[in-house]
Amino acid sequence: MRKNIRTLKLLTWILGTGFLILLPFLIPTRMHVAVIALYYAILASSWALLAGYGGQFSFAHMAFAGIGAYTAGLIGKFIRITSAPTGACTEFSLGNWWLVIQDTASPTCLESAKATMPLGTLIIKLPPWLDITMGILVGGLFGLLIGALVLRLRRTYLALFTIAFAEILRTVINAERDVTGGPGGLKVAPLFPNGASIGNHTFSPADKLPSYFVMLALFLLVMALMYWLAGSRFGLFIRSIREDEEAAASLGVDVVRYKILLFTVTAMIAAAAGGVYAHFVRVIAPNMMVIKEMSIVIAMAVIGGMESLLGAAIGAILIEFALEQLRSNITVGPFTLNMADWRLVVFGGLLMLTLRFWGNGLIYPIIQRITRGGVGEETVAKRLQQPAANDSSSLPDAEGPESVP
Amino acid sequence: MTHPSIFWYTLLWLILWGAIGALITPRVYARKDKFTHQTALLGSFIGAALGPIGLILLWIFTPQLTAKWLLGSGLIALFWLALAFAKAAPENLCVTSGSFVATQIANGLVIGSIYGLMALGLTLIFSILGIVSFAHGEFYMLGGMVTYYFTQVWFPDLSPLLGVAAAALFTFLLGALFELLFLRPMITGQIERPGEYAILVTFGLAFFLQYTTLSLVGASPKKVPRFFDYPKITVPSGTGEIIKITPGNLTFFDTISISSPRFTALIIALILLFALLYFLYKTWTGKALRAVSQDRQAAAVTGINPKRMNTLAFALGGMLAGISGASLVQVFSWVPWVGIPASSRSFVIIVLGGMGSLPGAFIGGLILGVVEALGAGCVPDPHRAAAYLPAYGMIILVLVLLLKPTGLFGREL
Amino acid sequence: MIKLDVNNVSKNFGGLLAVNHVSFQVRGPELIGLIGPNGAGKTTLTNLLSGALKPTSGTIYMNDQRIDVLPPYKIAAVGLGRTFQVTRAFRRMTVLENLLVPALAMHPAARQGQFVKKAKEVAEFLTIDHLLNEYARALSGGQQKLLELGRLLMLDPDFIILDEPFAGVHPKLMEIIYDYIIQTNKNGKAFIIISHDMETIFTLSQRLLVMAFGKLIADGPPEEVRKDPAVIEAYLGSDSDKPWQPVRRQAQPA
Repeated sequence: MRKNIRTLKLLTWILGTGFLILLPFLIPTRMHVAVIALYYAILASSWALLAGYGGQFSFAHMAFAGIGAYTAGLIGKFIRITSAPTGACTEFSLGNWWLVIQDTASPTCLESAKATMPLGTLIIKLPPWLDITMGILVGGLFGLLIGALVLRLRRTYLALFTIAFAEILRTVINAERDVTGGPGGLKVAPLFPNGASIGNHTFSPADKLPSYFVMLALFLLVMALMYWLAGSRFGLFIRSIREDEEAAASLGVDVVRYKILLFTVTAMIAAAAGGVYAHFVRVIAPNMMVIKEMSIVIAMAVIGGMESLLGAAIGAILIEFALEQLRSNITVGPFTLNMADWRLVVFGGLLMLTLRFWGNGLIYPIIQRITRGGVGEETVAKRLQQPAANDSSSLPDAEGPESVP
Repeated sequence: MTHPSIFWYTLLWLILWGAIGALITPRVYARKDKFTHQTALLGSFIGAALGPIGLILLWIFTPQLTAKWLLGSGLIALFWLALAFAKAAPENLCVTSGSFVATQIANGLVIGSIYGLMALGLTLIFSILGIVSFAHGEFYMLGGMVTYYFTQVWFPDLSPLLGVAAAALFTFLLGALFELLFLRPMITGQIERPGEYAILVTFGLAFFLQYTTLSLVGASPKKVPRFFDYPKITVPSGTGEIIKITPGNLTFFDTISISSPRFTALIIALILLFALLYFLYKTWTGKALRAVSQDRQAAAVTGINPKRMNTLAFALGGMLAGISGASLVQVFSWVPWVGIPASSRSFVIIVLGGMGSLPGAFIGGLILGVVEALGAGCVPDPHRAAAYLPAYGMIILVLVLLLKPTGLFGREL
Repeated sequence: MIKLDVNNVSKNFGGLLAVNHVSFQVRGPELIGLIGPNGAGKTTLTNLLSGALKPTSGTIYMNDQRIDVLPPYKIAAVGLGRTFQVTRAFRRMTVLENLLVPALAMHPAARQGQFVKKAKEVAEFLTIDHLLNEYARALSGGQQKLLELGRLLMLDPDFIILDEPFAGVHPKLMEIIYDYIIQTNKNGKAFIIISHDMETIFTLSQRLLVMAFGKLIADGPPEEVRKDPAVIEAYLGSDSDKPWQPVRRQAQPA
């Protein structure tokens, strides 16, 4: 029986992946939404790992995505590799190549140095994969520092601290116009600066399809990584920490270390998503980090099912498409509803109702029904047969005499 | 001649020795088999104030920790910082003009009293329900919005104080309603993971309220003129006046200047604070509330209904935030997301004051108000100064979490 | 040999001395009962031993290693395990997963599969093997207590503290728990058992510690302690009709 379930699971995975690969041929005009949906799916499912599996409620997930995006963007703006020294900018020698930083103090140093550098000097931007990697590392570093500071304390502190951190980061990026471009945004190079070609078909840098497959690859990679983590001892420990920190510690689990590790890993995943997103949308603004975005990601994870990585991802994809569908205004008699705002009210209300009445989310129960929560069929049958049998074997509960009359 | 870098070097020096003190002092105390409790805090303060010499003396004598040591070394460290700032930016208004500094501090205290009032609501909720409301800023925002609509749109002829009362009533009822619908199930056992649920559902409420408000009133900033024009008074008349009042401003001792909307807000905050203290310490219901915050089960035995107290506490907490918003709507312009920084500020304050401590919340509010006012006034570039306003709170938050996570008045663990 | 040295340990909760200069030593696999009226500081003392709380003064050494400065997980690794007064199973994890957590925590290099067999044996010993794939929240209160003991068997510490193992447990389960204690003690493990079940604790333990108002007022074999006037005074007080009060939750510091 168990084997059947495993086959079913595998089949679902293959079908799901196949569907996502074929999606561009089904809805070729909606590729932009599809990429954004995958971006949210990565964020929502990694937040589900952090909050649903690990019980650590962070509101800085979008801030980490922002750190990934801005690191990628700022590297593209300020850092070049040249084949000859400029003599004007801050630069470091890397053998025959020079790493050049055009800081805000000398924004045009490279331009002016062009005249003095030998002819044929190459000036290269770092490739997108490298600046995304840097973004992941910076995101991880921030995750580590914040985790080390806050995760020693009760879990409410994490929520309090991260919500403040996210807001401060946004204000700082808004204020430092010289560096980040402020609210006007920061231009980022496309994922494929020279276009891409598959077979004999060539895509221009503006084509969405190659970016879709990059985001899809990241999504699948992240899902595989997270499922592996969740199934390993790491997953076991973070779930025990979620259930009862003190008990886990008394059984030898290094609670603080695993919490920091979890926080850092999910921060890096968010930063990776942010980095790819930045190269896809090509102009990033601090608005990508507002509380609203965080609320949407949380709504996606909660409605999908916080305790299921897959549920959260599916929830994110469905909700992103739904949000796009609901953009157009609705006119009822003399009233016109501005749906751009009202749709968020709808999802805010749905978030609260889901939390209140369907603690497992709306999509996870469906997945559970298919896979029976990973529990063998015999056990399920036994549970159905004798629901009261277990309880009759002993007195009700140790808490009996402790309750207040 | 100026040396801007001297400030940063001093700051680095203080951090360096503070960190060394925080890391090593507990070990020294532990090796001597002494009471290691809070010695990290003591070490960091002594390290920052007196550098290596102070630390070595501390490690040799390992005295018992007292509040005097902490206060003294903290003040010395602040003094070094101020001195370095004065050396680094001698032309700065904060260094050259005592009256400017006094005005900033006074204004910080005024605004801080409102921050404190708002944080008082949050800490009240925490002490009774054991949860932090992430929608606290939205109650603040709604308080201001209701006052705007009441005084400017619906009943422009009535006294603005009625607007404040309407805001109080609205936020009180909203808080009670939310508690009944969404938080009550937590204590009746209908929710499986109450701790996690409380964080998320209040966060969801914040999102819901923000966008409902935005959809209803739009994003354009709302402005409310000052509630009261003060009469022109000068005491004593002539030169060397102690108090000078004009319709829009108050000046004390010719140096400290507070705008009248802020002063009105201060009066409202103080009246409310005393009303709250009276309620909590003199009335039966208030005493019952405090009893529940100390021991739920014992309170239940004495005939107090803890469920009702939960509703009351959440409604009162929301109302305090609402009134804070209502009294500040005449000071700042109001948009649907004005509650977000206000929320963060309240979080900083309750952590600083100690979660669940009522006096801590108010004093924390005053401290944050002063720090923000000085920070905003002393940073040279005014555009940056405004943008970095919330960052000062963040610095305080980091310091508190590093040095004394229980806050100023928090219960010891 | 198992060694535990508690030297002059105190814990102060904002003015209330919950544990007041307590000292005692344990040498070898003793079976110790810890008793005392409500609010005597028994649970606080166990929390100090397991590292969940830090003493305000005094030191605790286990096998000549100072443990009062260590975080709880390191104390577990040194060899001190405990249960809690109110059962604390990982409710949204299966019984098997509950049992695997301590085993994997103790063996950083091991693979998960290695311990499944041992977990099954432990579950069998505690008569909960038919529930291995159930979520812990589906278990009855008594079964959750057994699960906690099972986790301790998987952790395999030298020194075990049980907080109220018999409270509110069905007589049949009580027998299992009793057997567990005797068996494990025979295998060379030391025990401190807190209980209000006087009959059981007096027959079970070889040595009794008695606490009242935060102080350790008696330490010795059960027969001697029974006659100790200080103990009789602390327990009986004026109300001699009700010698043993019902179990009540002690005020847990937040």
